[in-house]
Amino acid sequence: MSEFPISFTLEYPYERTLGPVIGPFFTALRDGRVLGINCGNRVICPPVEYDPDTGATLEPDFVEVGPAGTVENWTWIAEPTSKHPFQEPFAFAQIKLDGADTAITHAVKAAGPDAISTGMRVKIQFCDERVGAITDVYFVPEADAQEQTITPGEKEVRKTIHKISLVYKEKLYPSRARYVQGLLDGKFIGQRSPKTGKVSIPGKGYDSIGRVTLSEADDVELSATGTAVSYTVITPIQYQGQTKTEPYISAMIFLDGSDQPLIAQEVHGIPADEFRAGIRLRAKFKAAGERNIDDICNSWMFCSTGDVIERWEPTGEPDVPFEDFPEFI
Amino acid sequence: MAEDIAIVATALTPCYRNYADSEPSMIMSLVNQILEETGVDRYKIDFTIAGSSDYLSGAPFSFIASVDGYGASPPVYESHVEMDGAWALFEAFVRLQCGDIDLALVVGSGKSSPGSPREIFPIQTDPYVQAPLGLDPVSVAGLQANALIEAGKATERDFAEVVSRSRRDALSNPNAQVAKDVSVEDLLKAPYYATPLRKHDLPPITDGASAMLIARGDRAKELCDNPVWIRGMDHRIESHHLGLRDLTDSPSTRIAAKNLGLEVSSLDVAELCVRYSPEEIVLRQALELGTNTKVNPSGGPLAGHPVMATGLTRVVEVARRIRLGEASRGLAHATSGPALQQNLLCILEGDA
Repeated sequence: MSEFPISFTLEYPYERTLGPVIGPFFTALRDGRVLGINCGNRVICPPVEYDPDTGATLEPDFVEVGPAGTVENWTWIAEPTSKHPFQEPFAFAQIKLDGADTAITHAVKAAGPDAISTGMRVKIQFCDERVGAITDVYFVPEADAQEQTITPGEKEVRKTIHKISLVYKEKLYPSRARYVQGLLDGKFIGQRSPKTGKVSIPGKGYDSIGRVTLSEADDVELSATGTAVSYTVITPIQYQGQTKTEPYISAMIFLDGSDQPLIAQEVHGIPADEFRAGIRLRAKFKAAGERNIDDICNSWMFCSTGDVIERWEPTGEPDVPFEDFPEFI
Repeated sequence: MAEDIAIVATALTPCYRNYADSEPSMIMSLVNQILEETGVDRYKIDFTIAGSSDYLSGAPFSFIASVDGYGASPPVYESHVEMDGAWALFEAFVRLQCGDIDLALVVGSGKSSPGSPREIFPIQTDPYVQAPLGLDPVSVAGLQANALIEAGKATERDFAEVVSRSRRDALSNPNAQVAKDVSVEDLLKAPYYATPLRKHDLPPITDGASAMLIARGDRAKELCDNPVWIRGMDHRIESHHLGLRDLTDSPSTRIAAKNLGLEVSSLDVAELCVRYSPEEIVLRQALELGTNTKVNPSGGPLAGHPVMATGLTRVVEVARRIRLGEASRGLAHATSGPALQQNLLCILEGDA
């Protein structure tokens, strides 16, 4: 059986307000200074909004700390991830900045694991491009530190944007791989549960009603004809990435013998005012070399038919009356 | 304790490096095993709760698809935690205390293989000063290991001994992913990965799931001959700021143990959620475990780490040993967050 490796990127651009403590902390970092917060008789850096021992709200009573400090603990990262501050080996360290009583965890750029040790002195370095974020700075051994002149920014930093971008790689699940191979071959492949007799397309590798797992032996080829049971006319709104300009019909179609509809099937060539639920349709596949399934992933929420169907055309048979519509799984 | 609650059936998948099919299919096979073993009709399960994370395999709302695994039709009374299944067990345990329902199904599941765990896990840390640095659990485990060594509480050899023993013990665990007989000396020859940790001090990347059925007293006795009683559960969390924690100790574990009145001398077995070898050193010291307690006979998470099921699997492992008569009383531990940030303890006991 063919394998279908897929890869996708999940992204969330988290934008967060910073509040009365982290806001001033990041504003200061952008402007070349490091702030700790007074908490009882100690100074906490990075500053926190609450007393870690009692939970009491802390007054925004800041103290400037650093710019140098002492390494309290470290680990040398031999193989950085793509999310780390440096793409060459570096150290994560817990650094007690001068004037602070707690350690900040940050990255130290050093020549190698022999160039870092507990008790050594390090100094903060400010990046040229600063937005008011923890990534505006990094640390180096004090001896390697450059003197820097920092021009303060103008507005107070009130928000931070942390864009999460994660890459995933997997293969299509076996049942979906066979469904996709079917589409490439110009066929609709579903699965019939031996327990309930229900047919789903694409099969999920199990029947959630009958609670049995399904295998290739349960695959069935479905007819290319079916009944539209619901539809909507979509007027494309122009947004970035939109490829459609003209209104089109998006229909939900039950292939004959299936208990689960194909959803979001585009219908062209039939005027919207002539389309109706109950209409009988036949899928005409594209030529073998023109079928594309690249948009199909393992998502359970939506599985398309890829780009393999040239068009849905009326069979000319009488409409199916509403009372005879198939029952959904 | 108002209500006696027991584990009446358990199920585990093997620890897979890469499970080719979907998470719901994995869950369904486990739940079917439990239903078959107990003869319970699925519709008679009063409450179902699962622990999983959409981020692991990058599938938004995958926790809803997982409902297929325990059964969505007719609709179930269901809850979910974005936590290890051990915390789902905690919620089910509390729910049964209410006394109005008898039977709860608990599931933990996860597929870590599609993603890159070291890149995913930083987003569970502080979103302002830690997550943007990509501060990952491996790096924090390195910091914890170094802190232990510099405090004189452990040596690199101690870490290697945990790994060597765990992976040797895993040879007798049919579900283990990494099981082999490797000497401490050989392990110590490996290069550093996150100094002073080596790659073997880390858990494997694993797909897997675990599940159990728990019941109130009388119902538990009806459903099986040898229920394993949950004698107490407690969980505590520490600060998300590493600078506010003592990485060489686990005060949250100590508090949980104290609240439970844990008598370690009575424990025959402890399954600890040791994801990184230094964590065993920290947990043994925090729990003050003695030589009478066998630790991680399954090999523990170093032999297989199905994230979101790893902690619940510890409970299953202890329960199974009690059922087999290998132990009469045991402790299961689950953890969440970098360097044992959050810890859960569960005391289990047989009938004898």
